[in-house]
Amino acid sequence: MRLHLLALLKKEPAHGYELKQALEQTFGQAYPSPNIGQIYVTLNRLEKDGLVRSVDVEQSNRPNKKVYYLTAKGSEVLEEWIDSPTEGPRVRDEFFMKLVLAPMTGIADRMQLINRQRRHYLKLMRDLNRLAATTDPENKVARLLIEGAMLHLQADLDWLERCQEDLT
Amino acid sequence: MRAIARWVRADLRARRGQAALTVLAVAGIVAALITAATLLEDGTNPWRGLFTRGNGAHVWIHTVDPPDPAALRRLDGVADVAGPYRSAPATLVQPGKKTPITLREMPAALPRVGRPVVAEGRWLDPRDPEGVVVERSFAKATGLRPGSAFTVTGLDGATHNLVVVGLAESGDQGFYPEWKPGLAWTLRETLHTVEPKSGRTESVTGLRLADPELTDLIVQRTVTTLGGQVQRISTWREVRASMELDNRLLGVLLALFGTVGLIAAALAIANAVGGRVLVQLRDIATLKSLGFTRGQVTLALLIEHGALGLAGVVLGVAAGWAITVYAMQDLVVVPLSLGPLAAIASGTALTVLVAVGLPAWRGGRTPPIPAAPAAPPRGRLSRLARLALLVRLPPALVLGARDAFTRRLPAALTTFGLAVPMMMISIGLGCWATLDDFREHPERVGQAGRLTVRAGSVPAADVEKIALADPGVKAAYPGAEVDTLVPGQTRTVRARALGTSADPYPFHVVEGRMFRERGEAVAGQGLLDLMDVEIGDRVRVTIGGTPLILLIVGRVIEPEQDGEVLSFGIDSLNAKDAVPVPFYSLVLHDDADPAEVRARLQAAGLEVSQPVNPADRLAIIRVIIVALTVVLALIGLANLLTANALGLRDHAVDLAVLKAMGLTPRQVTATLVTATGLLVTLGVLIGTAVGASLSAWLIDLQGAASGVGSGIGRTPSLTTLAIAALTAIGAALLVALIPARRAARFHIPHAVR
Amino acid sequence: MTSATAPVVRTVNLVKIYQNGGVPVPAVRGVDLTVEEGEFVAIMGPSGSGKSTLIHMLGGLDTRTGGEIWLDGMRVDTLSESAWAVLRRKKIGFVFQFFNLVANMTVADNVELPALLAGASAREARRRREELLDALGLTGRADAAPAQLSGGEQQRVALARALANQPRLLLADEPTGNLDSRNTNDVLRLLGQVHAKGQTIVLVTHDARVACMADRVINLLDGQIVDDADITPRRSRSRGTAWDVIELHG
Repeated sequence: MRLHLLALLKKEPAHGYELKQALEQTFGQAYPSPNIGQIYVTLNRLEKDGLVRSVDVEQSNRPNKKVYYLTAKGSEVLEEWIDSPTEGPRVRDEFFMKLVLAPMTGIADRMQLINRQRRHYLKLMRDLNRLAATTDPENKVARLLIEGAMLHLQADLDWLERCQEDLT
Repeated sequence: MRAIARWVRADLRARRGQAALTVLAVAGIVAALITAATLLEDGTNPWRGLFTRGNGAHVWIHTVDPPDPAALRRLDGVADVAGPYRSAPATLVQPGKKTPITLREMPAALPRVGRPVVAEGRWLDPRDPEGVVVERSFAKATGLRPGSAFTVTGLDGATHNLVVVGLAESGDQGFYPEWKPGLAWTLRETLHTVEPKSGRTESVTGLRLADPELTDLIVQRTVTTLGGQVQRISTWREVRASMELDNRLLGVLLALFGTVGLIAAALAIANAVGGRVLVQLRDIATLKSLGFTRGQVTLALLIEHGALGLAGVVLGVAAGWAITVYAMQDLVVVPLSLGPLAAIASGTALTVLVAVGLPAWRGGRTPPIPAAPAAPPRGRLSRLARLALLVRLPPALVLGARDAFTRRLPAALTTFGLAVPMMMISIGLGCWATLDDFREHPERVGQAGRLTVRAGSVPAADVEKIALADPGVKAAYPGAEVDTLVPGQTRTVRARALGTSADPYPFHVVEGRMFRERGEAVAGQGLLDLMDVEIGDRVRVTIGGTPLILLIVGRVIEPEQDGEVLSFGIDSLNAKDAVPVPFYSLVLHDDADPAEVRARLQAAGLEVSQPVNPADRLAIIRVIIVALTVVLALIGLANLLTANALGLRDHAVDLAVLKAMGLTPRQVTATLVTATGLLVTLGVLIGTAVGASLSAWLIDLQGAASGVGSGIGRTPSLTTLAIAALTAIGAALLVALIPARRAARFHIPHAVR
Repeated sequence: MTSATAPVVRTVNLVKIYQNGGVPVPAVRGVDLTVEEGEFVAIMGPSGSGKSTLIHMLGGLDTRTGGEIWLDGMRVDTLSESAWAVLRRKKIGFVFQFFNLVANMTVADNVELPALLAGASAREARRRREELLDALGLTGRADAAPAQLSGGEQQRVALARALANQPRLLLADEPTGNLDSRNTNDVLRLLGQVHAKGQTIVLVTHDARVACMADRVINLLDGQIVDDADITPRRSRSRGTAWDVIELHG
């Protein structure tokens, strides 16, 4: 979330709730957005790191709201992040560990494990389908995220099938 | 049923071009068959043509006095009456020859019934009372032509100088010399001049019947009506029988050709019609998955392709009939009689149904699972192909070759479909070569003697001297032909005494040896079969009441009398039959012109005749060979077009791959044409080779079967075969080129993209 | 919820063994399957698991080697090919992976053919065809030839053809196997609509997007069923998002 906030502040300064709204709008329903508390915690940390600074703005009938600005250092960090290629693995798979270790534990049958995971994936796919149907067609970002998720899910299911063929 | 109709209609509409091609191919074959059959029918028996064209009379009555035509017309069953015409015997006088003839009156206005058909020159004209029209076969035998002098001597001895103004054919009497005496027509006044005494004439009346089947009945009625007046009656049946080509060799050859032609035609029709079904297998599977039953699929296919084939048959019958009626009027041809026409129509229709039935039934049994789009055939690039590529043969050639032989069944069918017609054409060429051989080497068919001379106006003893005195004559062989009785046969057999035993006539002996002494003889195959004897046997014949025993020492090629002739030296004959020598057979020098020698000898007072070369008698075969070649060429073409169409369809995917590989359209065309071209070349070469090697053997077989004797068969010359083969290959490549060019520019089908 | 009517399709110990040049190859080894009216069943599995063979047998396009097949309470595995053909007209619609439209017939003819086959008059067939093409969004394409249509349009025509006689059972063998993403979505949507109207569907697929639309997903492995999962959504469950698959960092 940190760099997301930095990017939003690079565009224009904003206060907490504005940032929350902006975050929600990016992916809509497709991706869960953080609550206001988590946002403030992150903003504080960013301020401590010197990447943003806040300014109190007085309001007449309400408590002061803090408006956040991007510092020069923050801008540097943002640029560096965008310009450098992203490294590191992008797949996180806990299920495969379970599958591999299952016979040792004697707790669950591999076939059962696979079946259960598949059902889960299929239900997930169903939900993604529904999401895609209800997402605003103009929101290309959200649609692409959903499609990406579906593609990954299909790949997971194919892998699952292969595991089923070879490991059971 | 509606579903079937819908699918059939849509399918035909989508493949209009191919459908039209099928119909045309079948129509062409049927039309060719009908044309060939018409030529055949007329060639083997010209009677029908002549009779129809001349509106012939079914019955000719010869009476002493002219009967009452009205009375005859009133007879039940008589449609019309010709004549009565006066007819008188006379003698035709030609240099060195006197021939008895019948002179018959005919009006200048050609009659309705029994009309002679003018073939050369013109008909009688009252302004030209000295004109006669001579019957054609008689004219040919006596060497008369329009403008020739026609000198007749009447019974009273007076000579009249008439002129031939035309030659005509008649279906009312048989050909000369089977039917004697020769016939000539002239005006009434002229006849009266030649034969003024009516007592020496007879009256000839013709009856045209409403129903020819009632001929016998009506003849009886006529005899009853006319009583004792009737001297002779001839009917159309006798005329027809006499005009029939009575030659076993011809008959057997015709049967052979006819059968093969029909089989080839049937195969071509089968290919054209049945080959289409194979293309539709994918659609058939889809239909079945929708719920078409096996029977419905079979019915749909039968209807679709059967309809095309039958349409082709109908079109072909109409076209064939039209061709024979309109395009062949110069040959004496009438349209095919109903019997053979119906036979051809029903035969081809049946072939269509059978040809469609089998693939339709097979189509019905297609499994209902439509398979994935057909993958290109798997043919590994063989070692040979790889080698060829290494040696830098053009890739088109290699790919085309591999392509051609990968799909074995279609390749085999294409090759076979071309080999069979080529084989038959080669055999036909062999027959042609055999006939040519007859003409160029008549001595090989026993006609070493080009001319036969008899005593004309000179005494018999001088004939030999006069003949040998001529510079063109090399040798003269004395000869006599007698009829002999042989044991076990009710009819007589020809015995030919020619040359002496010491100096025999140069017969062409193919088995055994020539006779050398008295009492030895050679025989034709027909005689050996007839009497069931072999070389080395003795036969006992009775000649003129005298028995004679002869030892058969050899077999000769004998084209006369279906081979039933026994030949020996004239010294083996009894003296009473051999003296005076009836005729001499003259062998001429190679550079002598028979016509000149003949003229000279005739001028010297001899009667000269020329034996008919068997090649001329069998001339109809040449016509048949040509007709059959056309039919077979059409059949081969139809086969090729079908193979092409199927092949190109299969190739659609291959084409895309080839183009993707970077072959230019020209190279693609070359590949496709090479593929077809190789198969075509293979088929043509195989067919030609088989046909050429078989032809001599087959012709000999026919010869032996017909009595002429084996040993006549000839292989066509290498040049002829080469020309035929190259023409066939060239034509086939041309046929393959056009669709190949079009397909090379074909856009890549969607499924492959 | 048990239904009083017979299940649309029921197999008992269904077996299919191919003879591949003398070597017996078992494709389906004892499958017990029951599909009730209105159910949408997806069959998944690796290639060679027998999915296509199974669905072909259900439609009578392939004969079984052993076991029973019951269609609407009637035993059908013993029927002759012709009897199957008659049955198929009225009761089964089939959609194939490669569309399998009759190339020489127009779209209209293709869709009308099953109706004509079942005995409808030309007018009735046409009415039904117009209805179907309209429902599937293909009204303007009635006179086109299949070759002129895109893959997605062709599959929609195939679907229209399969539904022409209002079959009890719609069978599909990899219906989206030959389509791109957008066309897959179209066909999916249509299948959903058709299912919503109460059509019983059994299809074979390897595409999870298609499978997840079903009520039941059956998994085949080596010719046997290894899983028969009910994945109809229940209201109470929490809905998944892309986060369940992808975790975005940044």
